[in-house]
Amino acid sequence: MTAAAAEHDTPIPYMQRTRDYYLKLGFGAYRWAHYADVPFTPLTRPLAQSRLALITTAAPYQPSLGDQGPGAKYNAAAKFYTVYSDSTASTPDLRISHVGYDRKHTKAEDPNTWFPLAALHEAVNAGRLGALAPRFYGSPTNRSQRVTLERDAPALLQLCREDGADVALIVPT
Amino acid sequence: MCHQTVGLVARHIEAGGIPTVIMGAAKDIVEHCGVPRFLFSDVPLGNSAGKPFDVESQRATLELALRVLETAPGPRTTVQSPLRWNDDALWKTDYNNLDNMTPEDLAERRKEFEAVKATIATKTDRK
Repeated sequence: MTAAAAEHDTPIPYMQRTRDYYLKLGFGAYRWAHYADVPFTPLTRPLAQSRLALITTAAPYQPSLGDQGPGAKYNAAAKFYTVYSDSTASTPDLRISHVGYDRKHTKAEDPNTWFPLAALHEAVNAGRLGALAPRFYGSPTNRSQRVTLERDAPALLQLCREDGADVALIVPT
Repeated sequence: MCHQTVGLVARHIEAGGIPTVIMGAAKDIVEHCGVPRFLFSDVPLGNSAGKPFDVESQRATLELALRVLETAPGPRTTVQSPLRWNDDALWKTDYNNLDNMTPEDLAERRKEFEAVKATIATKTDRK
């Protein structure tokens, strides 16, 4: 017989935890992005004939900006504020010290856990995917939804179009 | 913030005519935003693309995301990966959980938060 799951074994309520946490610290409640309408575009061709664009929230390693891990403390200096792109033909040195990942239970030692470029190359080689876009794109993570909506998201769409992407895979940290 | 940002980005790119899928670990934030397609892995933040040094889990996570991309019948499609971080799942009780923090922890975190805000303000002023 299948054993029942433990009571605590549900997806973490991040919004509630964050709200409680900041209120306790003495800061106001954050209003999370929330929409009733959601866009949807059907695929027009099989993935084996499609070109995929990869979008990450990870940051390029910059040695001058302090400890960026693995296992580094939160490092706000390593944040980036504009969309960037780099080649998918080589393996970039990307880090996630600038975001709030789970530092107690994971150490960010293996970039493949937040940046699936190696797995994507495998999928292309196996014929599962048609191709990768020549570049991947970096998305700044901004507390300001307005900045994301008005500046960063349009810049990312523009890059997808320039590279002839048919589909996009977006991987937050 | 990462998961909210990518939610907004996915919506914009999808509306621009390019189908998207998000591979993520914060279910409530992504679904609250409202996105076209979402592969949810119930693992600590930082492992959206699979478990560390576990190529098989990384491969399986990508394959599942591709299947979500191909087969979603409409917007707000969430599929939960069968991937398990560990058996007891106690890691879920830790993240930003006030029940586990002392007043000293909180004072320290308040100080850190103010320092972070100051750093970001300097950076964004320069732009």
